[in-house]
Amino acid sequence: MADLKIQGLAKSYKDVRVLESIDLHIASGEFFTLLGPSGCGKTTLLRTIAGFQHQDRGEIIVAGERIDHKPAHKRDIGMVFQDYAVFPHLSVADNVAFGLKARALPKAEIAERVAESLKMVRLDGYQDRLPAEMSGGQQQRIGLARAMAIRPTLLLMDEPLSNLDAKLRIELREDIRDIQRRLGITTIYVTHDQEEALAVSDRICVMNKGNVEQIGTPYEIYRKPMRRFAASFVGTMNFLPGQLEGGRLLVGSQVIDYPAQASGPVEVAIRPENVELAAASSRGGVISLKGEVLKVTFLGREAHYTLKTEAGEIVAQVADPAQDFIEMEGRPVEVRLPLQKIVLFRPSGDVLDAERAR
Amino acid sequence: MRRRLRFDIWTFVLIAAWVILIALLIWPLSSVLRASLIDNDTGAFSLVHYVQIATIKAYQRAVGNTLLAGFGGMTGALLLGVTLAFVTTRFHIYGRALIQTLAVVALVSPPFIGAYAWIVLFGASGVVRKGLSSVGISIPPLYGAVGVILVFAFKFFPHVFLITSGALASINRSVEEAAESLGVSPMKRLFTITFPLILPAISASALLTFVLSIADFGTPRIIGRDFNVLATEAFNLYGSEVGGNPGMASALSIVLIVLSMIIVFGQRWILRKNVYHSNLIKKPERQHARGFKAVGLHALAYAIVIVGALPAIIVVLFSFRRTSGPVFQPGISLRSYERVVSTVSEPIWNTLIFSSVAVAAIVITGTLIGYLISRRPGIATGTLDALLMVPYVVPGIVMGIAFITRFNEPPLALTGTGLIIIMAVFVRRLPYSARSVAAALKQVGPNLEDAAVSLGYSPGKAFLKVTVPLILPGIMAGALMSFVTAMNELSSSLVLYVGSTITMPVRIYLSVMDGEYGTASALSTILLTMTVIAVYAAFHLSGRKESALL
Ligand SMILES: Nc1ncnc2c1ncn2[C@@H]1O[C@H](COP(=O)(O)OP(=O)(O)OP(=O)(O)O)[C@@H](O)[C@H]1O
Ligand SMILES: [Mg+2]
Repeated sequence: MADLKIQGLAKSYKDVRVLESIDLHIASGEFFTLLGPSGCGKTTLLRTIAGFQHQDRGEIIVAGERIDHKPAHKRDIGMVFQDYAVFPHLSVADNVAFGLKARALPKAEIAERVAESLKMVRLDGYQDRLPAEMSGGQQQRIGLARAMAIRPTLLLMDEPLSNLDAKLRIELREDIRDIQRRLGITTIYVTHDQEEALAVSDRICVMNKGNVEQIGTPYEIYRKPMRRFAASFVGTMNFLPGQLEGGRLLVGSQVIDYPAQASGPVEVAIRPENVELAAASSRGGVISLKGEVLKVTFLGREAHYTLKTEAGEIVAQVADPAQDFIEMEGRPVEVRLPLQKIVLFRPSGDVLDAERAR
Repeated sequence: MRRRLRFDIWTFVLIAAWVILIALLIWPLSSVLRASLIDNDTGAFSLVHYVQIATIKAYQRAVGNTLLAGFGGMTGALLLGVTLAFVTTRFHIYGRALIQTLAVVALVSPPFIGAYAWIVLFGASGVVRKGLSSVGISIPPLYGAVGVILVFAFKFFPHVFLITSGALASINRSVEEAAESLGVSPMKRLFTITFPLILPAISASALLTFVLSIADFGTPRIIGRDFNVLATEAFNLYGSEVGGNPGMASALSIVLIVLSMIIVFGQRWILRKNVYHSNLIKKPERQHARGFKAVGLHALAYAIVIVGALPAIIVVLFSFRRTSGPVFQPGISLRSYERVVSTVSEPIWNTLIFSSVAVAAIVITGTLIGYLISRRPGIATGTLDALLMVPYVVPGIVMGIAFITRFNEPPLALTGTGLIIIMAVFVRRLPYSARSVAAALKQVGPNLEDAAVSLGYSPGKAFLKVTVPLILPGIMAGALMSFVTAMNELSSSLVLYVGSTITMPVRIYLSVMDGEYGTASALSTILLTMTVIAVYAAFHLSGRKESALL
């Protein structure tokens, strides 16, 4: 098993910079997820690591050894392709056995691993079909089984579950996670489904426009965003305009003490589940805003309130809402933002005070 | 930014390809360029030949006529070929194998005799013309520009048919269905989705038919009458014992080559942004047409291939007629065949051996080069691609003379050997294979090969295991065309043959010239049979039967 280190990696297509300068260190056996909007360079990064294209600058080091000069087929890096890349002329079983044959494994072992991999992706029984006779999601799973079967030192998965139904997606992501843990394969997983990222990853790397925005555990990414982009991309986040002045924070018409050296405009960010509505009581300082309920969305175990406040619109989430809470549309309400739960971002997008951000 | 040179198998292929093309193309042809720039009398450098082309009326007319024949032949062949390809790939047509056979037969209708057969049918005293005028329909004899263009269209449409039907059959069905779901009518979809997707194939075949039309000299010579083109002018000037003018002939050849190259770059320009990939997952299905429509589609498809195969059919029929010298007599006889078997069996073996060797070399080299062109874009491959167009456009007779000039002295004294004929055929037909492989590759996503590489296969192996099986139809189509044209290669062999290396097309040509139409017909029929057998053997060996082409 091996760790992966990427230093100063940059890549352009013609004159478009797609990867700016990426630094990553992924521990051996880690499940590392790249999360970012479409077109931010995730596939490009994976393809560069796999060796299908060469970086302009930077180093790729696996288990202490630079692999940039190794051809792709000698890197032992498995890849699940975003567009499946299933061999249309080979049967399902032959697709999965393809990489095993290159490794000259004994026949019996190949058969065993093929069966095992197909079972894992719930395709047992489809061995002899041709890809053209299978659905998109099934083809995607062939690609997944094919890459897992070779037990590579490093496994790259480019949105391997994007085409599956919600239930299968959850099942398979758990399976992938279990197998990955059992075999200890260092894995880079690409997705733009943030829930999936939070659910399976050891660590998440939030990318935007070819840059790394933040790397951290799912908890850190969700609760301690270091950049405005990460905060807004992962989960829902409310942003309200504010102003810092001599240790005081101004939001709407509210002024509250806030022990920070800096001054100037800021954005006040808070997750919907941390917004409190009048009835709730909280300890510590709060920003208290007058508001009105614009819309209530009842989701069963929780309800979302769209609120209009003097400082702007925000969303609050209330768990296990009671009957009368649901009939609040159009009513005035007091909105409270606990100081402990807010995060401030500078206009540059950096978090204001990392110590205080929780 | 730093680009490292990555030395893998493809670098080696690139270098080898360049070596081959320099040795067999640039070096021989440089002798033609040189001859065109030298005054015949003084031996000094001069542009006199080019000045004459620009000023003398006959030559100007030849240039204009060449363009007319080229564009006319191309348009006709495209109309016929694309229509046929579309009908047979998208609709259920009974006897598709027969249609393909007839198309291949049209493709191989032997040189000279093919044109001669058209005259027999539609000439001044043509059978069909006379027949029609006896029932009151009068059509003009098939001479001049119209005749030449018609003959080209029906002679070259199979190329278009073979290339585009391969592309049409491998469009991802989802793409067309997506268009349909967006509310685009089938007719509009054809022009906005389907044709753009097969544009690489259409434009490749357009290019091919254009250059075949402008380099052909047999057809304009026999049917054109006073419709002179560059190829016939060049042929006359090279060929005639008296009044020959090799310098002028060379200059005309160079003009022909340049004209064609302009078209080559035109095609490039059209395709400059054209990189469509699909992973061939959902193949299009054939529709069952009903009623009137079905009858119409069948009539259309069969009309095209039957007219195309007509010359070949005529030749076969005539080979069984009694002859006395040049004159066909009423009655049936096998005399022509007896004469062939007793006197001229050597050309049969020569033709078989030469074309098999050449085609084996062509398929291997062409596949590798085709891959380079479409998958490793770069300056070295780009120029290679452009250079590869040259053999398309050099008239065979010019290529033959260039070879004789350059390979005449030790250590390369090859004149009079079979090898020189093979080499000429090889370099002339290499583009067919390379181009059709490149076209087929345009439709296979490169990710598939990446996937194989990530599973541990070297690039060379990944190519063999994944790409080759997927482009096999393209390779087969290219091999087929190379083989068919190699078997029928006349013009370069005509220059390069000696008694012991005579081939069937040369023998047929000589027979026609000697007025032995019976022998010529019999030989042509044998050639035709051999070609058709070879084609079907190829289908069979590839395990795909008729689907190798479609
Ligand atoms: N071959 C190419 N030539 C030029 N630009 C490219 C090429 N491939 C990708 N790009 C550009 O590079 C950027 C990053 O592409 P990439 O495929 O890495 O995105 P991604 O993060 O994987 O997106 P998605 O989530 O949609 O798959 C995009 O802006 C894309 O337009
Ligand atoms: Mg991607």
